[in-house]
Amino acid sequence: MEFEVKGLRKSFGPLEVLKGVDLSVSRGEVVTLIGPSGSGKSTLLRCLNLLERPDDGDLIWRGRALPYRTIAGSELSEFRRQVGMVFQHFHLFPHLNALENVMEGPRQVLGMGREAAAERAYHLLGRVGLADKDAAYPAQLSGGQKQRVAIARALALEPSVLLLDEATSALDIEMVAGVNDLLRELAESMTMVAVTHDLAFAAQVSSSIGFMDGGKLLEIGAPEQMLTAPSSPRARDFLAAVSPHGTSSVSF
Amino acid sequence: MQELSLRLVWLVVVLAGWTVPISAQELPLRIAMSGSFAPFSTTDGEGRLTGFDADIARALASRMGREPVLIQVDWNGIQAGLQSGKYDLICGSMAITQARLEQMNFSLPYYVSGAQMFASSGVAPKRLGVTESSTYARFISEHPEMFRDVKVTPFGSEAEILTALSADKVDGFVSDRIVGGYYLSRSGVSNIASYGELLYVESCGIAARRGETELIQQVNGALLDMVQTGEYETIYQRWVGESADLKLLFEQWGAYASELPKANESESLVVSESVPNGSSLGPILSGAALTVQLSVLTAGVSLFTGLLLGLATVSGRSVVRNLAAVYVGLIRGTPLLVQLFLSYFVVATAINRWLGYEAMGAFASALLALVVNTTAYNGETLRGGILGVCKGQWDAAFSLGMKRSRVLMRIVLPQAFRSCLPSLGNNLVVLVKDTSLVGAITLIELTYTARNIVFQTGQAFLPFMIAGAFYLVIITTLSLAVRYGEKRLATP
Repeated sequence: MEFEVKGLRKSFGPLEVLKGVDLSVSRGEVVTLIGPSGSGKSTLLRCLNLLERPDDGDLIWRGRALPYRTIAGSELSEFRRQVGMVFQHFHLFPHLNALENVMEGPRQVLGMGREAAAERAYHLLGRVGLADKDAAYPAQLSGGQKQRVAIARALALEPSVLLLDEATSALDIEMVAGVNDLLRELAESMTMVAVTHDLAFAAQVSSSIGFMDGGKLLEIGAPEQMLTAPSSPRARDFLAAVSPHGTSSVSF
Repeated sequence: MQELSLRLVWLVVVLAGWTVPISAQELPLRIAMSGSFAPFSTTDGEGRLTGFDADIARALASRMGREPVLIQVDWNGIQAGLQSGKYDLICGSMAITQARLEQMNFSLPYYVSGAQMFASSGVAPKRLGVTESSTYARFISEHPEMFRDVKVTPFGSEAEILTALSADKVDGFVSDRIVGGYYLSRSGVSNIASYGELLYVESCGIAARRGETELIQQVNGALLDMVQTGEYETIYQRWVGESADLKLLFEQWGAYASELPKANESESLVVSESVPNGSSLGPILSGAALTVQLSVLTAGVSLFTGLLLGLATVSGRSVVRNLAAVYVGLIRGTPLLVQLFLSYFVVATAINRWLGYEAMGAFASALLALVVNTTAYNGETLRGGILGVCKGQWDAAFSLGMKRSRVLMRIVLPQAFRSCLPSLGNNLVVLVKDTSLVGAITLIELTYTARNIVFQTGQAFLPFMIAGAFYLVIITTLSLAVRYGEKRLATP
């Protein structure tokens, strides 16, 4: 078991965003989270690498309860290193070129030398199909290219889990397929938790799909079952709303 | 007294040729004075001009049948204001000098005083204070043999000299005999008194623009009338606290009676200002060098300290954050001039007393005040830049496992600094102009130099224009340097 979340709660001021979430993610598993906006998907994801600190509940990382209230310094740093994250809006470092963006983690967190870090970064840029864009700055890249660099940046720390927060939502439609292909390839060898609105992508990569609504994980199950015959009425309504032609457009 | 009366009669005869009957005129008579030269010109509790000069000016105007309008003007600009027609006369204890005679018309002396050194009795002063742009400062610089081994420091006013005296920055000063005594008697400084004889006698006249011969004749007539009726003596006693030495005054009248009409009607009716020759460009260059030194040093140090302050204002510790906010509030909420005075008169004095030697002089004091001041502005600018960096940048860096300090140094600050550069450049320009205030603590920078040249040459405008051109060059150069920095740091 890579991740286990029990009764996780998180509020922002008076607004309770997570109202007791339970979720287990095994090694190698790919879990996608779907649900309406404001249902708490992204917050749950951000709690998983402690970009947000939960208010209550248990966060169990590889069988050990994570002291998320007090963890700091090197321990926090090491934990986050193992949990990579890819953001909807990329958040590449605009003052560094593509290669430097990818090198930043190995250099600053792993303490790697410049040459070793550059070698790793070149390799990763090649893997995401951008071997020739090493010297380009973020502003000179398309959305799809930026997201590929961001993925390479996350992979550079060799995380065992990758968190994807709507990784393709901000991309032009013609860029989506390429990034999805890359993520699908990664999904074969990594543990992933992905928040997505792309049901086709969810159907293709997921080991299981979770449906969130109102700060709770209402149900979780195999993709086929979740997308065609969810048990909760809220999930049925949601699926009907996002795919007006029924779920037949989702192929397995 | 018999002799005096005879002299008076003689003078009336001599002067009759160039005094004219006083005719009533409709326009008010506008008369300027500095208001910062007690007991001659000062202000009362309600800000009205008062003192010997003010009373004389009012009495003169009413004798000339005109309504007096008294105007308070900073001494440094008083001559420029006369020449540009902002007022008709200067009745502000202006000593009649050759340089001034070339620029303005003068009345007969309306009082006679002189330069006096003040110090502890029997102890030759080693550090003298003197008011900037004064005839005393000039006398000292022209008689180095009399002031060998004496460090002379210029100050903005007699009041500042007295402050310096109590702060042990000087152990004596040169001033007007009457003014110096007036300030000493009110200062609480007890061990200082007149030291030696008058350095020289000085006659103060009332100045008008060149060519205003008739106006000056009317002033002379009114002045004569006031002396004859005893009104002059009354005013003199009220403010100076002793009888007027009319014998001395008449001697001076006699001396000037033949000279003044010639000077007043001489060729140079049109005020011509020539470009200063090498001897005055030298001081301007060294003034500019001081301005550049202060600006560049302050800019360099305050960029670093401003960075630290900027980081403190976004610190995770609320104590640090609050301290930084208090600092910014205090420094931005008080004028730089006050900070300069505190640095020079309080901080430097305390440090020097503690160490037992002159470790911190005027330059270091100015640098301290400028750095403290500019740091506050740079810190706020950088705080804005740091807050302006997208929160996603923090998220991305944190998600890589970078620690807060690394995120700040590697990711946030480089971006914040780039976006702040234009504003930091702006702070730099403001700083360069702010250095003109350090003249208040005796540093002769560019503006101060220009004022000195105005005083020495009597040219009212040109030195300031030249100083302005120097500022333009300095600021343009620095602006270009900042632009270059922006370009160098720019990423696509």
